[in-house]
Amino acid sequence: MNLPKIDISALPDLDTVTGVFGSLAQHAQVPSSDDTIIIMMVFVYDFLTGH
Amino acid sequence: MLIRPELQALRSDDTPQRQAQAQLHRLVTQWRASGGGAGIEPALASYARGAALTQLPPLARLFVPGHAAASRLARDLIDRFAAALNAAPWGQVPLPAKLDEVTATIVLAATGNAALVLQATDGAALRRRPAAQTASFSPGETHDHVLAGSAQARLAELHGEAPQVVRLVETRCDLAAGQVFTRDGARQALLLDAAPTLLVTLKLQRRPATGSVTREFRLEDGTLAHQAAGNARDSRFELAAALLGRMGRNDAAPLLAAMAEEQGGQSLRWQSLKECLGLDTAEGFAVLGRIAERPSDPLAAPAQALRAQLLTTYPQLAGAQPCPA
Repeated sequence: MNLPKIDISALPDLDTVTGVFGSLAQHAQVPSSDDTIIIMMVFVYDFLTGH
Repeated sequence: MLIRPELQALRSDDTPQRQAQAQLHRLVTQWRASGGGAGIEPALASYARGAALTQLPPLARLFVPGHAAASRLARDLIDRFAAALNAAPWGQVPLPAKLDEVTATIVLAATGNAALVLQATDGAALRRRPAAQTASFSPGETHDHVLAGSAQARLAELHGEAPQVVRLVETRCDLAAGQVFTRDGARQALLLDAAPTLLVTLKLQRRPATGSVTREFRLEDGTLAHQAAGNARDSRFELAAALLGRMGRNDAAPLLAAMAEEQGGQSLRWQSLKECLGLDTAEGFAVLGRIAERPSDPLAAPAQALRAQLLTTYPQLAGAQPCPA
């Protein structure tokens, strides 16, 4: 069967868009938001050093 | 520009710097092998795999309220680092560390999705920072042992689950040396309001490896301010799926179809589905249909809407639908 090529730019996102890992709206103003920061530190450090 | 003679000398001969670095690496290796850090990493690996903290004595004793093991662990390592840096100030501590205006964080050990972290919060800097407007909830388990100092804090708890708005209940939760707090990160966030001096805590954290989402809600009204992938793997795979799509890698369509049906993060699954549709219409439309027909799937409703949209835009897709059994 000859099916059309779908243009994915016209496909919708989910109702709530999910940002990439580590993105926060109020990061700079939330001194206690360490939960994400810690796990991100572990990830970024591994990425940078190749450990 | 002022360049100190010691640093100037390193430009022509960096041996002292390399020696200082080697010494710091040796120090960490010794600490892990026979010093205060002995036994921590294997226990942390078991914890990352899901073992209960109580089954892992080398870690568990660090989180018994007031137990001296936690302070001993921190002091032992910091004293070693301080002595080494005092002798060779241009060395860099070979552990992940982060310093900002308010907090200094050093990762003592990390394996899988678990990490043991020492953190110091500067009370004076905390006072200068505006009060938190949001609370961030990241699925995972966190144990905090306050080693020194004290703080005024609030525990924000999430109630009344709804996608875009929740009820946040805040309770006063003051921290003092010797206390241990355990939090379920998906529902509880700790907000530091003030600390008279320096607050030092030892933290143990375990996060889900996949599929988790971090959500940030406004304290004022409980509305969702932001949502992000709660783990690096999901974002990495999402980027990979987008890249495969842009590269026109039709051979990746079956893989993307499989990813769209996995029990992972919804955002990753949706992105994989879209890219699959763009690369291989038949494969993508088939997986879209399967998801739409699975009532228990959280993506069933958006998949049904997307299927209807595609059938309107491309009526010829009606012929690609599976025959009713």
